[in-house]
Amino acid sequence: MTLIDRVHALLFAADSPATPEELTDALGVPTFEIEEALEELGSRLASHGPVQLVRIAGGYQLSTKPEFADAVARFLTPKEQKLSRSLLEVLAIVAYKQPITLAEVDEVRGVQSDYSVRTLAEKRLVAPIGRKHAPGRPVLYGTTQQFLHLFNLSDLSDLPAIELSTGEVLRAAQLPDKKQPALEFAEDGSKQVD
Amino acid sequence: MSKDEQPGGSLGFVRPPNIQIESEAFTGSLAMLFECVRSRKVDLQGVPLGPVCTAYFAYIRGTDELDIEAAATGMTALSYLLERKAWHLIPTPEDDEPEGDDLLDEIEPWAGDFQPAMEALTERKHERESLFFRHPESDAQRYELPISAGEATSDDLASALERLLARATKPEIPTVETPKRTLAEQMQIVMATLKPEPESLDTLIPGPITKLDAVWWFLALLELIRLAQARVVMQNGEPLFARAS
Repeated sequence: MTLIDRVHALLFAADSPATPEELTDALGVPTFEIEEALEELGSRLASHGPVQLVRIAGGYQLSTKPEFADAVARFLTPKEQKLSRSLLEVLAIVAYKQPITLAEVDEVRGVQSDYSVRTLAEKRLVAPIGRKHAPGRPVLYGTTQQFLHLFNLSDLSDLPAIELSTGEVLRAAQLPDKKQPALEFAEDGSKQVD
Repeated sequence: MSKDEQPGGSLGFVRPPNIQIESEAFTGSLAMLFECVRSRKVDLQGVPLGPVCTAYFAYIRGTDELDIEAAATGMTALSYLLERKAWHLIPTPEDDEPEGDDLLDEIEPWAGDFQPAMEALTERKHERESLFFRHPESDAQRYELPISAGEATSDDLASALERLLARATKPEIPTVETPKRTLAEQMQIVMATLKPEPESLDTLIPGPITKLDAVWWFLALLELIRLAQARVVMQNGEPLFARAS
């Protein structure tokens, strides 16, 4: 049984992205060997078969290849998760300006955004990640790993830099790992963050 | 006047009502006037705002299905223009006028700056929709497996529910209240009642029942069928329910 096979088995059984560190802990081999095994496994899967290895939400996970999407969708009949334009706008603002308060989101948009932020929090795409050291200690919001997963992002650096009207170039704000709300499962099976 | 789907520039992503202005100093839409005044390309003194306000109120009164976002954007644009023009009309030295609009100047970056990010997110989401990952068994909310009810069609089941509801009596206190039991508890009750041999709903649920009971029983039966713990067979045009063998 090779290391690649063991990594493959763990990823097959995992229901959320696994980091090389987690695989290291589980298999008891150095991280660099795990990374080599992941690279080799990714190449093997890419060359044949219906499954591929993807980097998503800060880890590695197996998924079906896009060319099988129609067949799988007909089988699973997935419910489409639609996001309105205003929700997408708030999500983009939070992604690039996090950690950010509700008032700061309001300021950027020029309209109240409490409903949008609340809805995004219910969808577990944004989450409170602390409080600002300012009068009133307002809640700071950030994106979640669920956000990364829904938008097929390995991390926020996958999002393009944008040029502001001021000429400043803004990159999506990467939170420290300990601040990134984790991907977990609620009792009803949906992903949630703490 | 029609809603335009193009972005409304500095006003955000909703365009104001398509009010066309023709004057000595400016010809174009309300949104364009707002942009030009904000960037100091147009002298508002040559633009009469009274007719613009009249056209706006005509839009508000004359539209059957008012687009509240467009109306609000229009009001924001008009308010800004009126304030700017008021400053022009006050007989004070030019230097006393505030430099730009403080409120808008503070809004940096503004929402329109994030348009490329929104497009990138939309593209990523589209890519993501072509990938399917392993999900835990309980993640049935996203991927609902179809119910297999054998020969019974949805019409048969609907008719059975209709007959069950016809038997139901009104509750004594006609108020909406939290169900006294959860669906999981109801499923346990139904499972304890179901027999290996198929039975009709009349046999399965004897005695007087309320409409809430009827719906609760039916939901539990459907869920048990979905989970393959119960089955339904058709006999003489009537669905009969039993434990899955």
